[in-house]
Amino acid sequence: MLRYPEIGTAVLYSPYAFLTAALVVSRRRDWIWYILVASAAHFVTHWPQWTLSWVVFADAANIARALVAALLLNRLVGTPPHLDSARSLTLFIVCAVVAAPAVGATIGAANVVLHGAASTYWQPWTTWFVSNALTGLAALPAAIVGFAYVFGISPWHPDRSRVIEALLLLIALAATCALAFTPGFKWPTLVLLLSAPLPILIWAALRFGPGGASASLTWITYSVIWNIDRGADSLFGSLDESILALQIFVLFTAAPVLWLAAIATARHSVAQLHHALLASLQDQIAILDAHGMVIEVNESWRRFAATSDAHAIHRVLPGDDYLAVCQSWADRGDAIAADVAAGVKDVLRRTRRRFELEYDQTQGDRRETYAKSIEALERAGGGAVVMRANVTARRQARVEIEEQRRELSHLARVSVLGQLSGAFAHELNQPLTAILSNAETARHVIRHASPDLDYLGDILQDIIADDQRAAAMIQRLRGLLKRGDRRLQHIAIRELIDDVLELARTELMTRRVEVVTDINPTLPALWGDKVQLQQVMLNLILNACEAMGAAAESGRRLVLAADFDAPGRVHLAIRDNGTGIAPELIDRLFEPFVTSKPDGLGLGLSISRTIVAAHGGRLWGQNNHGGGATMHCVLPVASDDGTTLPVLAAMRDT
Amino acid sequence: MSAPTSSAFVQTSIAIVDDDASVRVSLKRLCTVFGLQATAYASGREFLTALEDGGSRADCLLLDAHMPEMTGSELQRHLVAKGISIPTIVFTADDTPELLAHYTATGIVAFLRKPLSSEDLLAAIERAVRRKE
Repeated sequence: MLRYPEIGTAVLYSPYAFLTAALVVSRRRDWIWYILVASAAHFVTHWPQWTLSWVVFADAANIARALVAALLLNRLVGTPPHLDSARSLTLFIVCAVVAAPAVGATIGAANVVLHGAASTYWQPWTTWFVSNALTGLAALPAAIVGFAYVFGISPWHPDRSRVIEALLLLIALAATCALAFTPGFKWPTLVLLLSAPLPILIWAALRFGPGGASASLTWITYSVIWNIDRGADSLFGSLDESILALQIFVLFTAAPVLWLAAIATARHSVAQLHHALLASLQDQIAILDAHGMVIEVNESWRRFAATSDAHAIHRVLPGDDYLAVCQSWADRGDAIAADVAAGVKDVLRRTRRRFELEYDQTQGDRRETYAKSIEALERAGGGAVVMRANVTARRQARVEIEEQRRELSHLARVSVLGQLSGAFAHELNQPLTAILSNAETARHVIRHASPDLDYLGDILQDIIADDQRAAAMIQRLRGLLKRGDRRLQHIAIRELIDDVLELARTELMTRRVEVVTDINPTLPALWGDKVQLQQVMLNLILNACEAMGAAAESGRRLVLAADFDAPGRVHLAIRDNGTGIAPELIDRLFEPFVTSKPDGLGLGLSISRTIVAAHGGRLWGQNNHGGGATMHCVLPVASDDGTTLPVLAAMRDT
Repeated sequence: MSAPTSSAFVQTSIAIVDDDASVRVSLKRLCTVFGLQATAYASGREFLTALEDGGSRADCLLLDAHMPEMTGSELQRHLVAKGISIPTIVFTADDTPELLAHYTATGIVAFLRKPLSSEDLLAAIERAVRRKE
């Protein structure tokens, strides 16, 4: 093997690469074994040709160099070190091509000088350093990749084309080296001679990464060394010139080639991630450039595009003009295509960041709901991402949640009315009592020979009035009891409060609660579901009654106040002078199943808050300064054109 | 249905106290048509005032248990306090056992559930008249 004749140092010292590679890919507690094996090999190959002290000293230099390289690489580049970016390659060169060889050279040169093989320190230092630096640069990356594979840390599962490509690369490399460096084959100039393998190196770098590039470099280096050994004079001139040529070649070729390999690897892994990411998404995705042309689509998009159900705007593939297709369908009167075209234009022009659309589509015999969103692509070149997802299940879940919410709200309403059952029995029995007494009176009167018809007329009139009174009462109750769909309407606040007070009248009377209303008569109407808002008010009023149970009968006072809040909003306050809200409950008042009543479910307030929130309002409670509590409810008034609130609209549509 | 015809019954003066106008008017009609002297009052306070003015006498009191301001039992307490004893028939829509027990303890003649049948009402009034005698 080619050595510097006077000091016995190899031009390319492969043990450095092997030991360092073994250390960086293994566990630290196993390092001692690799060091022992390497030392044993060193002794077997160098002793007794060299003196024992020389061999020991040289071994120490080797171990120190490998340890420094392995520790620095593990710390700065990783375990195992992946040379897949310009940054990691720079750190690799600093650690394994500069720092570790410098440490090795410092000890190794001292060895040479101490054994009298050189007169100056710097001459052997430089030789050692260059030899190790070249090894680090040319052979170490390949050794690390190889050891990582052997140790099972980075398994390699190449497909057939990849193996064939690797074999072709190997053949090309061998052929080039054989042609270029065989003694007797005369190339016009030396420069041309060493640049011959360059295309192969670039191929290896681009396609096989730093490992492949490094392996190729190692091959070339050994090929040159072998040929110099066989006939140095005929190849590069003198032995010294040959060594210099080789060093310059490796130094000026290896670094750029490795860099190229690292950047190619980085790009390749980003591209792989990008494709894997797109492929893993269930949503259909198309990426548009700034002009609306499709740059890329994912698997899901491609699959759907191939189906017969797909609308033309979903059959576009890379190279097609998405915007133009949408526009042409919009021109033919397709409403969804028109919306999408407008949205795409807005997003591409950056007048908005995101455009969303939800629509139904019949697919076979099923009706599916799709959500489409177009999002600006945040990059210098502009563009947009089109995403389309089947949200039928999500929408179904939303409908079910709304259904359950409605069910729960109905249960709560029924339970509130249950609290009032005694009062309702009383209210209904009043007209029934009057009707019965009047009817019996009438029956008695008509037994007379000449009944007083005017008197009978009055009685019948009263019966009719009482019957209507009972019917109205039942109607009011029915509205609250039935499980109807949401019905949105204008609601006058005065009417809302009066209706609820009418329902609670007997209860309030029984509980001896004096009711005071203070309603600004100029308040505009609310827009919402009357039954639900009645439920909220009834709940709040009954809670207030409950809270005043402990107060003296004479002082129970419920104030219902309504006035303007912020513009477009009405503030309702239900103030009692009861026991107030217990401090431990005040923060959790609106949580479900939180109640101060021994037989309460604790759903009333939580459902009330949900209802108010669905009306775009807010419900909260606080204790009064002078005792008792006030529940505050802020609700938006109906807009001028009487249109619906967005929140309620969303709920109604589901 | 046949009305009791004893002279004592016919001259009986009935006081009806109920806050509900329809009930008040219809009960008064019913009593009148059976030959009773009936007067109706909208509240306990109104009845007490009439008693104090001396313009009124009552042989029997038809009393609604469930009224704002002054409930049936409150009116009874006022009467007891004034040393006035009138045979009383209490009626209510809310016939809870507690309420029944409460009124039974005060020695009422009858506790009737709304709506009232004329037979039950007249039978109770007859019992009240006999007790008065």
